[in-house]
Amino acid sequence: MTEQSKIRNFSIIAHIDHGKSTLADRILEVTGALTQRESREQFLDKMDIERERGITIKAQNVRLKYTAKNGELYQLNLIDTPGHVDFNYEVSRSLSACEGAILVVDSTQGVEAQTLANVYLALDQGLEILPVLNKVDLPSSDVDGTKEQIEQVIGLDCSEAIPCSGKTGVGVPDILEQIVKKVPHPRGKADAQLRALIFDSWYDSYRGAMIMIRVVDGTLKKGDKIRFMATKNDFEVTEMGSFQPFAVPLDEIGPGEVGFVAANIKSVHDTQVGDTVTHASVAPQKGPHHLGPTTEMLPGFKEVKPMVFAGIFPTDSAEYPALRDALEKLHMNDAAFSFEPDSSEALGFGFRCGFLGLLHMEIIQERLEREHNLDLITTAPSVVYNVYKTDGTMLRVENPAKLPSPQWIDRIEEPIVKMSIHVPAEYVGAVLALCQEKRGQQIDLKYAAADRVIITYELPFGEVLFDFHDKLKSVSRGYASMDYEVTGYRADSLVKVDILVNGEPLDALSIIVHKEKSQPRGRSLAEKLKEFVPQQQYEVAIQAAIGGKIIARETVRALRKDVTAKCYGGDISRKRKLLEKQKEGKKRMKQVGNVEIPQKAFLAILKVD
Amino acid sequence: MRASVYVHFPWCLAKCPYCDFVSYAEERDNIDHAGYADAVLAELAARAALFEDREIASVFFGGGTPSLWEPRELGRVLAGIRATARTAADVEVTVECNPTSLDRDRAQALVDVGVGRVSIGTQSLRTDQLTYLGRLHDPAGARRAIEGALACVPRVSTDLIFGLPDQSPEDARDQAAALADLGLAHLSCYQLTIEPGTRFGELAKRGRLPLADDGAVAESFLAIDEALGARGLTHYEISNYARPGEEARHNLGYWRGEEYVGLGCAAYGYSRGARYRNPILPQKYVQGAAAATEESREPLAPLALLRERIMLGLRLATGFDLDDAGRDLGIAPWTGERTKTAAQLEARGRLVREGGRLRIPPGAWLFTDDTAARLF
Repeated sequence: MTEQSKIRNFSIIAHIDHGKSTLADRILEVTGALTQRESREQFLDKMDIERERGITIKAQNVRLKYTAKNGELYQLNLIDTPGHVDFNYEVSRSLSACEGAILVVDSTQGVEAQTLANVYLALDQGLEILPVLNKVDLPSSDVDGTKEQIEQVIGLDCSEAIPCSGKTGVGVPDILEQIVKKVPHPRGKADAQLRALIFDSWYDSYRGAMIMIRVVDGTLKKGDKIRFMATKNDFEVTEMGSFQPFAVPLDEIGPGEVGFVAANIKSVHDTQVGDTVTHASVAPQKGPHHLGPTTEMLPGFKEVKPMVFAGIFPTDSAEYPALRDALEKLHMNDAAFSFEPDSSEALGFGFRCGFLGLLHMEIIQERLEREHNLDLITTAPSVVYNVYKTDGTMLRVENPAKLPSPQWIDRIEEPIVKMSIHVPAEYVGAVLALCQEKRGQQIDLKYAAADRVIITYELPFGEVLFDFHDKLKSVSRGYASMDYEVTGYRADSLVKVDILVNGEPLDALSIIVHKEKSQPRGRSLAEKLKEFVPQQQYEVAIQAAIGGKIIARETVRALRKDVTAKCYGGDISRKRKLLEKQKEGKKRMKQVGNVEIPQKAFLAILKVD
Repeated sequence: MRASVYVHFPWCLAKCPYCDFVSYAEERDNIDHAGYADAVLAELAARAALFEDREIASVFFGGGTPSLWEPRELGRVLAGIRATARTAADVEVTVECNPTSLDRDRAQALVDVGVGRVSIGTQSLRTDQLTYLGRLHDPAGARRAIEGALACVPRVSTDLIFGLPDQSPEDARDQAAALADLGLAHLSCYQLTIEPGTRFGELAKRGRLPLADDGAVAESFLAIDEALGARGLTHYEISNYARPGEEARHNLGYWRGEEYVGLGCAAYGYSRGARYRNPILPQKYVQGAAAATEESREPLAPLALLRERIMLGLRLATGFDLDDAGRDLGIAPWTGERTKTAAQLEARGRLVREGGRLRIPPGAWLFTDDTAARLF
């Protein structure tokens, strides 16, 4: 157990691509936790997907030994934070386990929307923020300009901001010194009842659900009976340790310290991030450190609820059990992800899954496809609507196909986000136009620097899901960055658009949209579907409809012939193979009424564009 | 057991832009007529074992343009086949001919070496269409070749291609009727097919080939059927019409799943459970002929063969017997899925099932591929 005055808990906050992971690797190297050989590039991003996307998904946490220039040995706990808006709450919990944060700003790019969002989260937690200016090895680096921007936009003093490079290692020793000097040490009560914050959890196939904790008050020892205050479950600690970066067992974790705990916990859903761990009341007295349960939870706990829902279906119905198994596995490791069985006329049996946001959804989808080798169709993501019915009851609808008929609906409320967008001044007009088009309400517009603007808007979350990010990138030539959080619900004229094929609805393609957008959206869906529906023996009508009213129609002409003219000796193998392919194609067709629709039609349409 | 022999002659005077058979454009005088015949005879000797327990019902010289081949050399090959294999008394011997390499004398020379049937590549009776198809002859030349053949060859057939861009169903019908009126007892009418790897295929891939409207092609198919039916020619296979008894026995062999021994450059053969292909380059073929060197060989599992029987058998007006096919191949043909599919197809008027016999009713011929694939 290390004395609190010799402990520093800190995290690194940055915009995607600003070099957080590389810098973390350097820190590990400089403190000797990792030799260069061990340091695969970006050690802290464990999973492939994270590495590919440059996004840290699950916080990974490391305890480092550092002898400072004053000759003292310090315990530095680097607490990693996920770097995307979908994981805002997780970020806030990780930050609340720290006393300080290194703010990494790419000196070639400047402050981005996400940088700001994370800085605000850190300031909310009362953290000491140490700005560092990364990538000074690049010729386009502008240290002074970036400092000025940080001072102007965030209001942080940059006189001691360290120019550094995660790539070359320049500045990294100075950063460590500043951590020791500037980040306050923990000030927990050693003799108080145990209070520890859960800031991460994961599933280990041998140990069950594991938690990462920061002890605030008291001491936790191996063998202690503990209680999770929010979920009200009791467990017995079987194993504890810290990552240095490889796991090292510990017998106790004292105030201010960080470590992992295994306690025969069955599921990560028992381990909610932000929950408080204390001692269980019924536990036998194990020693003076065991003072019974506290009644006071650590502040800031929120139950994490999925915000975005989508149907996930196997393209081959025989893969349904495999999909279920894969979802169960992911679910074990991801408390924020939910799923339940779902079925669709068009897509057969699958699951309705809930995610924190679009990125979270994409990550899960990719892991299902890559790690579990599944071929999937994912329906268009939907937000959760509050539907107030005429009988006075309220229904939460996360699947457009499940929206009641219009005559039973009094009003529909949709979730609203507060969106902040950072953009070079020259694109402001285009971004404002986009926000207006997306039914936004402007809240604020201010200059962060002479040529950079921060635009704040309230936007319907559904509009953000649809194609906002792509459009934002395209209207700003990739220069805009965005960040948002869901702030509430608001009623608007929303309608459900159904797509019908020869009169039969394709439930998987139903969408809820604003009335004014229903026609163009309906038309574009019908047009797109038309491209992929092969000619059949009869004419096929593809329609978009609201209730009984047709708002768009496309026609696929009847197929007139499907016959091979010549088939003699030399052709037989090739023709047989062509027909075998044709047969395979038919297998992957979904029969809707009398019309056969290839799965690639659903795939193409459901690809969010 | 009945089987047939196919001999491929891989040269033409010019390569037609729609043709996906192996053929090389060559001047007649530059072809080693005797050397090629020697090579085929050498391959024949190497493949002699394939003829054991088989009775050869048909020999077909295809190409390429086998009518370019010196009849004497072609005759040597034919004689070799007769000497090696047991041939049926009424063996059908057919040679594919192009109007540019067929006249009365050439036809007589072929008859003299034992040929009893010619199939002439007329393709069209209109100059503009012949130009589009890259043919070297004109309508008058085609008529002359047909008339020359009719004068001395016992059985004469000709090919017509329809479904050309902007062709009306009436035009297709009138040409078929005109050919029938020349006194032909057999006609093959093919809708133009754009195959990958041909000049047309390349143009089509780049969107630079004008193509016919599907509806017009379908109408043409039906109009030809009607016109030839009225002239006593039975529509016995999707693309073939004949007076009763005049059907191409060689091709019937393919459609019934019978074996065929392929000889010559690029020829395919199907024998003893495998399909093989001979070398595609003439030089490579000639060099390896004595050892029957192959380009590739595909073993055929019973299911693949059953699927071929379905695909080919459904091309015939009389259909085929799936029970018999299953018995031949040692495979139970009526799986639950196939039985269900057959019933669905029957309900939709796409298929007629009489016991084990399956056939496609005339009205549903235009969808044969779809029907066959569903029954795979």
